[in-house]
Amino acid sequence: MPNYITAVNQMIRSAVLKVPGICMYGQNINNGTFISGLTKNLAAPADGVILNVSNSENTLCGMGFGMMLSGVSAIYFVKQLDFMLLGLDHFVNTYNFIRCYYDLNKLGRFSIIMLVCDQGRQGPQSSCNSYGDFCSIARIPCYTVTNDQDTPRILESQLTAPGFRMMALSSRLCRTEFLQLQTVLAAPDCSVFQYTEGRDVTIACFNFALPEGYRLVRELAAAGLQASLFSVNYVPNIDWAPVVRNAGVTRRLVVIDDSKSVHLAGHGLVEAAVRAVPGCRHHVVARGANVDFGMCQDNLPIDFAALVSRVQQWC
Amino acid sequence: MNDSIQTILAREVLQLRAWQHQVNESLKAKALGLAVHMAFGHEAIAVAVSHMLEDSDRLVLSHRNIAYNLARAGDLRPLYDEYKGLPSGLGGGRMGTMNLANPARGVAYTSSILGNNFCVACGLALGFKLKHQAGLVTVLTGDGAMEEGTFYESLDIAQSKGLRVLFIVENNQCAMSSTIPERRCAIKIDRLCQAFGVSYDLLTGNLVFDYAARLQELRRRIMETSVPVCIEVDLLNLYRHAGATPGFPGDPMIIDLKNGLVVREDKYDPVYVLKQHLPADEYAALEQPLLAQARAWSA
Repeated sequence: MPNYITAVNQMIRSAVLKVPGICMYGQNINNGTFISGLTKNLAAPADGVILNVSNSENTLCGMGFGMMLSGVSAIYFVKQLDFMLLGLDHFVNTYNFIRCYYDLNKLGRFSIIMLVCDQGRQGPQSSCNSYGDFCSIARIPCYTVTNDQDTPRILESQLTAPGFRMMALSSRLCRTEFLQLQTVLAAPDCSVFQYTEGRDVTIACFNFALPEGYRLVRELAAAGLQASLFSVNYVPNIDWAPVVRNAGVTRRLVVIDDSKSVHLAGHGLVEAAVRAVPGCRHHVVARGANVDFGMCQDNLPIDFAALVSRVQQWC
Repeated sequence: MNDSIQTILAREVLQLRAWQHQVNESLKAKALGLAVHMAFGHEAIAVAVSHMLEDSDRLVLSHRNIAYNLARAGDLRPLYDEYKGLPSGLGGGRMGTMNLANPARGVAYTSSILGNNFCVACGLALGFKLKHQAGLVTVLTGDGAMEEGTFYESLDIAQSKGLRVLFIVENNQCAMSSTIPERRCAIKIDRLCQAFGVSYDLLTGNLVFDYAARLQELRRRIMETSVPVCIEVDLLNLYRHAGATPGFPGDPMIIDLKNGLVVREDKYDPVYVLKQHLPADEYAALEQPLLAQARAWSA
């Protein structure tokens, strides 16, 4: 199996060929490192085009929305999530204008596909790793691509879906083996994916925490416990029902979120679960408030032994 | 330019002024719940731009969009109803004054965020280019909004990608309540454009006939060469740029329909410029019915 970045790159290259007339653009999109391999060997479909552009992130975000208005679909490939802070005005304001005035079905589709700098040691200004905050503030859908099940589904459905969305890859995962999983459930809007079914505990992973969640599943299995594993994307007005239903069976919920944000989307899931399943045991694995934003490893530190022990005690 | 077109242009400038007076009288009477960025002094360029546009063209505006939206709509009622928050308004009563667009009449996007519209205009133009569609995208801004970095970036992208974009900088020397010298150094827009290889032009004098003819020429040039153009328009906003409506109690600035359509007797008032340019009887024949209509509305 190829590594993560190679596998995702292959899927992107395949998916964009099915979107005729698409404009793909980004800084150094077709030379150098090809955005750390994200756009390597990218080819344009019929009537499509690939454009190398300047370092003008705010303007490039606005340009994508302008192309939407002209009826052209576009993908802006971005080196790191932090750069998208410069485009936030357009996600919040420009897109809000467009969806107030226009029928999105009649416009071009706009997607931003980016890397998140979460591999550590990039310095304080390459530290933003929670694109869920963008989803929240702009009320737009944002998806992580993490495995061989969610990636093709997200790409196939979202690149041609009306409107605007963001998709993110993890730099930390780039050279790791691409996760191969089974799909138990895939929400039609790609908000929730379920990969395993188990009666003992429900595990919900946010941001790029799926590998940690998958490891927890295996460690619990070694301890004789069966877990249901979910990954959750950031979709406004998300339907928590698939996860909450499962928590209603297991009555135990572990949320893992490697985001550095203070407010976590997983808290909303916990609230929904506790309301729907009174007495549901729950635990959130997150970074805490004193995140080191400096030169540091970016992995979410997890004491798996302690976590397994906690679940065992619940059981 | 033949006489009939001149008459049309002149009437439209006067009509625009009359409509702005009507809105202003409503503001003074506190009949509208919203702030409106009035554009007294912008009528010549607004009418000239509107006449330049062809069906395939798009107009991208800013918060000070009233003159352009009136010119494109050709009617005060849709805007006025919008300002009142009525469903019959141009934006269904939901858009307010600063985000008011009119896609059916080519006003594709209007931004209340300074400078946000430049790159949207570039995206529109790039889309037209990729689809091999003829169409000019004209984007309006002011001397304040052009201070935003995206102006610089958008000039770059428009030139780099050969986009048919017309940037119009309405230089009224003021942003919020600060004049240019109060807030920054002078920016030589012509030299900035030269640095990017963008063509530059200056419109001054506020005579709508001159502006209309020049814009037609520039449109032809852009469509032939795909080299973007930036026009600087020398004008003044004949109004308190930001703050209370002139004529409010205690406000020394008076703009009142009782005083007629002219607000200022110099080259910065396009209506006054027309009055000086046209034969007196011709001007009067155009002005009188519009003034009467405006006064009847406001009564």
